[in-house]
Amino acid sequence: MYNVAEVNAEACVAQKGCRLCIMYCPEANCIQMDMKNMKAVIVEARCKGCELCVVVCDAAKHNAIKMVAR
Amino acid sequence: MANRIQINKEFVDIMPQDYLDLVESGTYETPNRGWKDFGTATELIAEHSLCAGCPESIAFRHIMASIPNPEDTVMVGSTGCTSLVFPMIAVHNIHSLFGNQNAIATGLKRALAVRFPDRVKDVIVLAGDGATVDIGLDMTLQSWFRKERFTTICFDNELYANTGGQESGLMQKGFLAKMAPVGKRFEKVRLPEIARESGCDYVAIMTASKPSLVEKVIKQAVLIAREVGPTYIQIYTPCILEIGKQSMEGLQEMRTSEAPGERFKFREFISPEAQSFLDGLAEKKKAEKIATTT
Repeated sequence: MYNVAEVNAEACVAQKGCRLCIMYCPEANCIQMDMKNMKAVIVEARCKGCELCVVVCDAAKHNAIKMVAR
Repeated sequence: MANRIQINKEFVDIMPQDYLDLVESGTYETPNRGWKDFGTATELIAEHSLCAGCPESIAFRHIMASIPNPEDTVMVGSTGCTSLVFPMIAVHNIHSLFGNQNAIATGLKRALAVRFPDRVKDVIVLAGDGATVDIGLDMTLQSWFRKERFTTICFDNELYANTGGQESGLMQKGFLAKMAPVGKRFEKVRLPEIARESGCDYVAIMTASKPSLVEKVIKQAVLIAREVGPTYIQIYTPCILEIGKQSMEGLQEMRTSEAPGERFKFREFISPEAQSFLDGLAEKKKAEKIATTT
């Protein structure tokens, strides 16, 4: 089992200019912006499961990212 | 000279997708590049082998997004965790012997000036605290004494991380590590102050917790190194494994260490020459802005 992050598109506020998870993810090209829907998207193959995105998202009270088992 | 980064049409069908993405949407030859490109443009670093949640990789991402002209930059690395990342970056780079990075950068900078007299070439040294302060202190200091025009970035994790946690010169006094069970008996080496006294025109000490600050400092340091003299940046990138933290706690650790009165509170030193250069740049930018709006 391996944990990866998953974005809940309804709770994500990237359309308002939030880039917290994209800014603080330690992996390059791992969290991308879906420019059509203006939401953050996780590239699962690059996610190492560190949970930093969950920490910054929860600290801003957006609670849009959670870890899921794969 | 626009569009220098291109791919030979014959190779398009056999090159990996990551490479094509870089050519297509990498931020080469882009003025005003910065961390704002994250998520939309392809980054110049990919799939590195650092641990999950490593703050060093956050710093590395911010630096790779901020260097002013990556297509004309050569980075010099040294042994340590950083050398695991250098094979994965899309900028010319050299791996030197442990501690030799500033000597190599000196020769490189001079050779590039002879080979490309009509083009701006930046050299950036990026090494850990062991290479900068312990093993390579001679080369580091001598390059500053000679006023060599390149940027030295030190990733300060306060110990030798990838050999198991031995004591380094930048470790805090009294700190216990896995391979330093007695605790350090001496003070942390004050390299920023030494850098200032040794002739650096710009010195900054910081953590990697604020992307916009990292971007500003890196840009200033590279531009000052181009025109004025040597620059030095010390960034705290804690090793979460060696200080006993979980993967998601690295960011908080950096924020705690940059609180007022803590050892990594943001400080910078700008020499009078560098300050007048920066003022000139700001005035030029202002004039351009007025010219475009009117």
